[in-house]
Amino acid sequence: MILQATLSGIVMGCVYALIALSLVIIYKSTDVVNFAAGEFVMIAGYLGLLLLDHFGLNYPLMVVLTVTLMFAFGALFERTALNKIVGFKYAAEAALVPMVVATIGLSFMLKGAVRVIPSTEEVLRLPPLFSGPPVFFANIVLQRQDIGIVIVAVLVMIALTLGFNFTAIGKALRATSQNPRAAALIGIPVKRMRMMAWGLASGLAGISGILLSPKLLMTPDMGNVVMLGIAASIVGGFTSLVGCVIGGIVLGVVQNLIGIFVSPQAIAVTPFFIIMLVLVMRPNGLFGEAMRLKKV
Amino acid sequence: MSKRASKRRFTACAVTTAIVALTATASMTPARAEDPGITDNEILIGMFGPLSGPLIAYGIDPVQAAKMLYEEANKKGGIHGRKIRLIVEDDKCSPNDIVSVVKKFVTIDKVFMLHGGSCTAAVSAAADYINREKIPYAMLNAAGDNAVFPPTRYVFGSFQGTQRAYAAAFATFGAQFLKAKRAAVIVHDDEYGKANAAMARATFEKFGVEVVIIERIPPNISDLTAPMLKIREAKPDVILSGAYPAPAVLIAQKYAEFGMTAIPLLQAAQGIPTPSVFAKNVANPEALENFYYTWAFNDIGDAAVRTKYIDLFKSYNNGREPGPFMMSGIPSAVAVLAALDAAGRDLTREGFVNAMEKLNLKFDAMPGPLEFGPKRRDGARTMVIIKYDGKTQKVMPGTYTWDGKEAN
Repeated sequence: MILQATLSGIVMGCVYALIALSLVIIYKSTDVVNFAAGEFVMIAGYLGLLLLDHFGLNYPLMVVLTVTLMFAFGALFERTALNKIVGFKYAAEAALVPMVVATIGLSFMLKGAVRVIPSTEEVLRLPPLFSGPPVFFANIVLQRQDIGIVIVAVLVMIALTLGFNFTAIGKALRATSQNPRAAALIGIPVKRMRMMAWGLASGLAGISGILLSPKLLMTPDMGNVVMLGIAASIVGGFTSLVGCVIGGIVLGVVQNLIGIFVSPQAIAVTPFFIIMLVLVMRPNGLFGEAMRLKKV
Repeated sequence: MSKRASKRRFTACAVTTAIVALTATASMTPARAEDPGITDNEILIGMFGPLSGPLIAYGIDPVQAAKMLYEEANKKGGIHGRKIRLIVEDDKCSPNDIVSVVKKFVTIDKVFMLHGGSCTAAVSAAADYINREKIPYAMLNAAGDNAVFPPTRYVFGSFQGTQRAYAAAFATFGAQFLKAKRAAVIVHDDEYGKANAAMARATFEKFGVEVVIIERIPPNISDLTAPMLKIREAKPDVILSGAYPAPAVLIAQKYAEFGMTAIPLLQAAQGIPTPSVFAKNVANPEALENFYYTWAFNDIGDAAVRTKYIDLFKSYNNGREPGPFMMSGIPSAVAVLAALDAAGRDLTREGFVNAMEKLNLKFDAMPGPLEFGPKRRDGARTMVIIKYDGKTQKVMPGTYTWDGKEAN
């Protein structure tokens, strides 16, 4: 039972990690915590279902189109809303509160917009990307989709780590976050980089939505899962891609073990307890760099 | 005793007697003849339900169904010559909204009575105000456990059964039909789940079934691994679930994933708003090999009943096919119409409440009577059990009626 709970916790942890990765990309590039990340995941799930059921696309085409549209959506939001808020300033010099409030506003707006669509009043489910009979390891059972989630989470983490550390665009994104004025002076198109970070994070939320919707089920309130992504990010350290994956896994496993040894009722409060514990014991998380203190 | 003292005592006695008599008369009077919301040719009813927001499915079709029955009654000349006029408001199933809507109906629109509410927490929030203002109130389709237990004079509800009735029906079915000896119960950690679990345990124990585990889960739970593993470890031979739609799907998925499909899974109706959508979400036929749910209506087993109400609904809604909750708007409207009729032409609020209290109504849409009494405000206690395999729904033999005895 404990082994099954631990493995299922790892899978759920990777679910939280995917959301956390989307949060960390934006945080690393713009210093903003995107409170609409959960709604991005929710929108991607509904979009995927729409493309499959209504437009009759096949699964690979749906994945490509959903991720592309989500990329465009994130970039558009940055261009039309955040860019106006930042104005001519660089992100690091701009007031963060209006930007964070804009993401909170966006989350409510997306939730409200989805609720207007009649069929969303029911719980819906996107067909899984990886389907087929479950896989057994002795008495342990795992769905193929679960294994797929773990593999995708690890691959995304590796790709992003390599991308941020070894590619020109990744380095430009980091420079934009760390010192936008200096980045601009050496010719990095700061605004374009910010737009790209939002597009990238939104595209990642698209992948997360496609993977998570079969597992978490889709309702307009599905975006509340962002709190678990935030918890994973805080545990791992808000600036570490590896950290947030490990943070997600720790969170998923602890939740399940608490569900077994304490009570399922305690599962819902576990993330908040862990957040408090980490903030008190290790404010930068398990793998995070020391964060700059900003007045927000 | 002096003459003056005797006169004073007589005067005091007379005044006291007069006050007592007036008070008694006032309390015994059925109602003021000039109750608000009634004219010679109209009865004004304030109707509400969730017409927007995430719980819209529980309200939109039931409200339309109740409206169509009132309009049908109006077509036949109304009730004792009075037509029914409705004012409809959206309560979003929110306690704050429902209280505002009810206050608006009472103070601004001055309605005769209230009819509405699809969610237990919301209707419970309005119950105090309704009783204080002495406004007759019939719930639309909320289970309403907290609003009808303990019973209060003006609040009538549970027209499709309470959580107590669902749990009692399932536990009786599990013990008597499925011959279970060890039961597991999984419910939410809210008032809804508390009522469900207490009644399930009491009923199972009445039949000598051991309740081996009760798991309480948060409504927003995203991973059912831990509770379902604990249930598997407890080795039950029947599982009763009172979960809401999303957790109900996750329960069914884990139940199949962990190889528990030989154990019957009994799911209360609130978890499967639309059976076909539920089956599609579960996406595993094995999970539904041994699956049952409670239902408070005859429409599944009786095609004539189904056709009758669906056709009527479509005729009032431009041919639109109703959702599965449409039937839940029927019983309360039927009961209100019957009580208005029984209260007679000299209709007053108190007269209507008295008529509701005496109601014992059997009609085609329900497997048992809608019944109230001086100490009873929950209308429906009889359920049928449906076996659902993802394609076909089969009504199991018999009906299951809660005896009204509270769980300790």
